[in-house]
Amino acid sequence: MTESPVPAGAERSAPARPAQGRYRRRSRRLRVLFPYLLVAPAVIYLLLITLYPGIFALVQSFHAVKFGPWTYVGLANYERLLADPQFWGALWNTFVIGAISLALQCVIALALAYHAYRDPWVRGWRIIFLVPMLFMPSAVAFLFKLAFLDARVVSDILIRLGLIEQNLSIQSSVWMSRAVLILADVWQWTPFLFIIFVAALQGQDEEIEEAARLDGASWFQVFWNVSLPLMRPVIAVALTLRAIDITTMFANVFIITKGGPAFGTETISYFVYRTGFKFFNFGYASAASVVMLVLTIVIAQTVVKRAFRSARS
Amino acid sequence: MASLRTTRRDSRLLRYLILGTWALVCLVPVAWFLSIGLRPRVEIITPRPIYWPTFSLDAWHMIWEDWPMARYLRNSVAAIFGSVLIDLVLAIPAAYSLARYQYRGRDDIAFYILSTRMMAPAIVAIPIFFLFRSLGLLDTVWALMIVYAAINLSLVTWIIRSYMLDIPKELEDAARTDGASDLRILWEVIVPAIRPGIITASVIAMIFAINEFLFTLLIASTPNAYTMSVALANFTGGSDGVIYNAIALVAFLAFLPVFLVVLLIQRHLSRGLTMGAVKG
Repeated sequence: MTESPVPAGAERSAPARPAQGRYRRRSRRLRVLFPYLLVAPAVIYLLLITLYPGIFALVQSFHAVKFGPWTYVGLANYERLLADPQFWGALWNTFVIGAISLALQCVIALALAYHAYRDPWVRGWRIIFLVPMLFMPSAVAFLFKLAFLDARVVSDILIRLGLIEQNLSIQSSVWMSRAVLILADVWQWTPFLFIIFVAALQGQDEEIEEAARLDGASWFQVFWNVSLPLMRPVIAVALTLRAIDITTMFANVFIITKGGPAFGTETISYFVYRTGFKFFNFGYASAASVVMLVLTIVIAQTVVKRAFRSARS
Repeated sequence: MASLRTTRRDSRLLRYLILGTWALVCLVPVAWFLSIGLRPRVEIITPRPIYWPTFSLDAWHMIWEDWPMARYLRNSVAAIFGSVLIDLVLAIPAAYSLARYQYRGRDDIAFYILSTRMMAPAIVAIPIFFLFRSLGLLDTVWALMIVYAAINLSLVTWIIRSYMLDIPKELEDAARTDGASDLRILWEVIVPAIRPGIITASVIAMIFAINEFLFTLLIASTPNAYTMSVALANFTGGSDGVIYNAIALVAFLAFLPVFLVVLLIQRHLSRGLTMGAVKG
C-alpha cells in the first residue's frame, strides 16, 4: 500500500503539469488531503448520528432520568440491569427467536435456490418469491396478527383439516407466540436469502459443475460437494446481514405480541423501548443501550469484518 | 436408459412440487390480505372466518375521507426521496474516495461506514429522540429525512463503491490525460458509467426507508409527520379495535410502487442486498 494518494493513472499525467513552485506545493497538499475531503462529509454525518448518541447514552446511563433533571447515580443503573431477569430474558428471547428463524430461513432458501437456479422459469419464481419481502414489515405484522390471533383463520383451517380440536390459544403460550414471530419473519425474509443464493449459484463456473457431472456425480452431490463450499463466503455475508436485522426486530413484537405473554417474546429492542418510552426510565434504558452497543462492536469487529472480507476476495 | 428417464421426470416433479408449494405459501396470504382490504369491516373478525366476503370499497373511502391519507403519503414520499438525495450527495464522493485512492486509514473508514449498518435502532433511539427534541425537530418530516439518510448511508456507499471498483481504469486515464480534474472525472466519467449501481442503491435505500418503523414511531407523535408504515399502527378505533381492512389497503398501496421499481432492477438486486459483496 502506497502512502501518497495517487489516483489511478495520475503518474503519467502529473509530470506534464506546469512546475510552478507555490502552485505545485499547494496542489500537492491538496492532493494528499483530497480523498479524505471526499469521504469526510459521509463520515461526519455518520459520526453525528452514531458517536454522538453513543456518548449521550453513556452519560445518561450514569444518571436517573425521570421527566425532570438528571441526578447522578453512578453505576446503579448497570447494577440493576445485570440483576434484572427481564433484561436477561430479553437477551435470551432475542437469541432463541433469532436463531430458530435464521436457521429455518437459511435451509428453506438453500433448498429453493437449489431447485430454482437451473429451472427455465427461474425469473418467474424469483418474482413470486420476492412478493412477501416487498410489503412493509408493519403490514406483515398485522397480517400475521389477524390470521393467527384476531380472526383465527389459521386455527379454523387446522380444525377443518382435522389436525386440532379447538382454536389454538396462542396468546397464553410463550412458545406459540414465539412461533408466530418466527413464522412472520421466515415468511417475509426467506426471499432475501433466496435471491442472494440463486445469484451466487448462477454466477458460479459451469465448467466445474459439468466436470463433476461427467465424473458421474448427481446434481445433489454437485450441489453439496462443489457449489455449497464455493458459496460459503456469500452465505456468510447474507446470514450476517439477516442476523443483524433479526436481532433488532421491533415492529413485529410491537404489533403482534407486545412482548407477552409473561415477557416471553420481549426482544432486546422492545425492552429498551418499554423501559425508555413506556416507563420513561431513560437512564436505565440507556444503560441497556450501552450494553447492546458494546455487544454490537464486539460482534462487528469479529464476525462481520471476517464475513465481508472473505466475500470480497 | 428407461430408468434414468423416470428418475429425471421424478426429480422434475419434486422440483415443481417444492417450488410450487412455496409459491402458494407466498401468494395465498397475500391474496387473503387483499380480500381483507376489499370487504366490509363487519366481515373481518367473526366467530367463524368468512372466506368469501362481500365486495366493498368501505376501506378505500375510509382511508381518504376519515384519515389524512394524502398527508401520510406526502410525508412518506418527501422523507424517502429527501433521504435518498442526501445519501447520494454524501455517498458518491465517499465511494469514489474509497474505491479509487490509496491512503492511510482507508480500509478502517470503509469498515466504520459498514459497521453503522449494524447499530440497532433501539441503541440510538433515546439519544436521537432527545437530540431532535432539543432542536425542535420532533414530529417533522425533516427529522425523518435525516434519520432515514443515516440508516441507509452505509448501504448506499458500499453498493456504489462496489460498482466503481468494476470500472476499468483506462476509462479515467483517457480523461485524465486530457487534463480533466478529479472532480470532473467523477461527475462526467464515473457517475454516468455506474448509473445502474446508483439506481440499485437508491431503490434499496427507498425500500428500507419505507419499512422503517421504530424511529418513525418515536419521532412522529402526531399525524403531522406520520408515514404510511407508522400510520398503519394507528388505524384503530371503535369497538372492534384495529381497522384491518384499511391497513390491508394501505399495505397494497405501498407495495405496488415498490414492486414495480424492484422489477426494473431485478438483475442487480442480489448485489444491492448484500451491499455489493455478491455480484449477481
